Amino acid sequence: MIELRNITKIYNKGKPNEVIALKDINMKIEEGKITVITGPSGCGKTTLLSIIGLILTPTYGDVIYNGENVTKYSDYWKTKFRRENIGFIFQHINLLPGYNALENILLPLYSMDLNPMDYIDKAMELLSRLKVLERAKHKVEQLSGGEQQRIAFVRALIKDPKYILADEPTVFVDEETSHIIHNIMEDLRDKGKTIIISTHDPELIKIADKVYRLYNGRLIT
Amino acid sequence: MIKKQKNIISYAFDCILRYKMRTMVILITFLIATTMISSVLFVKDGLEKEAEISIEAAPDLTIQFLRGGRLEPIPISYINEISKIEGVEKVVPRIWGYVGISNYVFTIIGIDTSNISPLENFGLESGRFIKEGDRGKIVVGKLLANLLNLKVGDNVIFLNEAIQAKKYQVIGIFSDQTSIYTADMIIMSIEDARDFFNIPNGYVSDLCVYINPRYRPSDIAVKMSTIPNLRVLDKDLLLRGYKVAYASRGGIFVTLWSIILVAVTLISLSQMIVVGQQSRFEVGLLKSFGFSTLDIIEVRLIESLVIGFFASSLGMILGYIYSLYLGAPGLIDILLGWYFLPREFKIPVFINWTTVFSIYSVTIFPLLIATVVPAWLNAITDPDIAMRRGIA
Repeated sequence: MIELRNITKIYNKGKPNEVIALKDINMKIEEGKITVITGPSGCGKTTLLSIIGLILTPTYGDVIYNGENVTKYSDYWKTKFRRENIGFIFQHINLLPGYNALENILLPLYSMDLNPMDYIDKAMELLSRLKVLERAKHKVEQLSGGEQQRIAFVRALIKDPKYILADEPTVFVDEETSHIIHNIMEDLRDKGKTIIISTHDPELIKIADKVYRLYNGRLIT
Repeated sequence: MIKKQKNIISYAFDCILRYKMRTMVILITFLIATTMISSVLFVKDGLEKEAEISIEAAPDLTIQFLRGGRLEPIPISYINEISKIEGVEKVVPRIWGYVGISNYVFTIIGIDTSNISPLENFGLESGRFIKEGDRGKIVVGKLLANLLNLKVGDNVIFLNEAIQAKKYQVIGIFSDQTSIYTADMIIMSIEDARDFFNIPNGYVSDLCVYINPRYRPSDIAVKMSTIPNLRVLDKDLLLRGYKVAYASRGGIFVTLWSIILVAVTLISLSQMIVVGQQSRFEVGLLKSFGFSTLDIIEVRLIESLVIGFFASSLGMILGYIYSLYLGAPGLIDILLGWYFLPREFKIPVFINWTTVFSIYSVTIFPLLIATVVPAWLNAITDPDIAMRRGIA
């Protein structure tokens, strides 16, 4: 169980350009379920996902993983936790330019004590499932937005993480691919993975076990 | 952990190839700087080494005569007085001075042929050394031989200060491989030198004192200092003097090149900033995947060490070639000062490991600072913030 208690995030705190991105968020995310966070653009979905994924520190409030308050834990601990447990699909896709699709997919494995080359078959299988196998050796710059998003999806799954955090995972893909992603998400849930998605996609909302709605940095349902 | 280390090293090498522009800018600028710095230091070290070799041939102590604080020929009667000092093994008179030939200045050394001269230890390219009874005969350095196209057996005429023409026969030529020390030398008998410089009988330029190895020259020098009007030059003092001279000339260059190095570092730094945005994003992304701050510093450290080490090593090789094979044009005249060296004369180049280490330090260290510090600053920022700043 992931629990958020009174999470508030203020950017540029105390400065004239101060922004309150999140205000007193409380939520419980059950393990092995699909949780969707939805709401209009700029409501704080990405910020909330980043806080859950421990890549952003809240200004106030606590993030609790399985009863353990990890908010104040060291950077080293959080990094190790992310390495071992979390796979991210970013809103801006965030593939590294200059590398090809396969190299980007294997990148998270370089921080682990394993041989990334042993995961090529798995990467190829996922790429095939998402219909971008032929793009494996293409540079990021040569891929369309939709193809990049599918690569980012494979990258998030390559280390078989316990938690998958997906920020608008279907925004750049066509209907068919979107459908494939839904199926993969459901498969992952069946395998006991915890999936947290920020999305506007009604199809993704349909497969969610729990939906939270954000508005103007506050949780409304 | 071994596999992880392999992954990090592999990623660091990928970065070197991926950031081609940054790698090239750093490589080229550091290459130029290290080439210049290393050539200056290698030649300076070579000259110091040369000075050491030359000093080997020098007497333990050199005695000069001062009148009113100025150098004057020393009466040979001092030989007896000095010989009596405990520890003095031998006192040999010497007459020396300079002669202008063409636009260059050469050193004439008149030696006492009844004693074996340490100069005999320097190799001759052809002919033989001066021996007892030789009059009107000279052994010349390679410089004069080249300048006047002299061979053994040739006759040569020098003009002294009184504009008197003096004729000598070349009986030997020093090898150009031996030492800069012999390059501008003209060796003749002390009698011929006395005649050339018009030094009165009973006087010489200085006295060469050889000390028994059981005694320390500096102790004997202290004893001699009690004799009025004498100046005692210690061999070690001469060596230190040479070293200071070369070091200060080298120092000017090193200072100049250090300024250039700072400029180079700034160029590298600005290049880092250009790719900084991308680098910031990359660091944030890597951290989100689970790369620790230490992993990221290690990646940047490896990158900088590889580029810095490669650039510095290549720079030193080029510096060596520039000095040894090209004759360090534009550099050697300043380092040698009063010396003239023909193109074919081999410049003394010596690789001192301390110098090599210093070059690596002054080139790699700024690069490490310029790369590792920004990476560390990004790595200790929340990955989300680092990525947003990188994208912005």
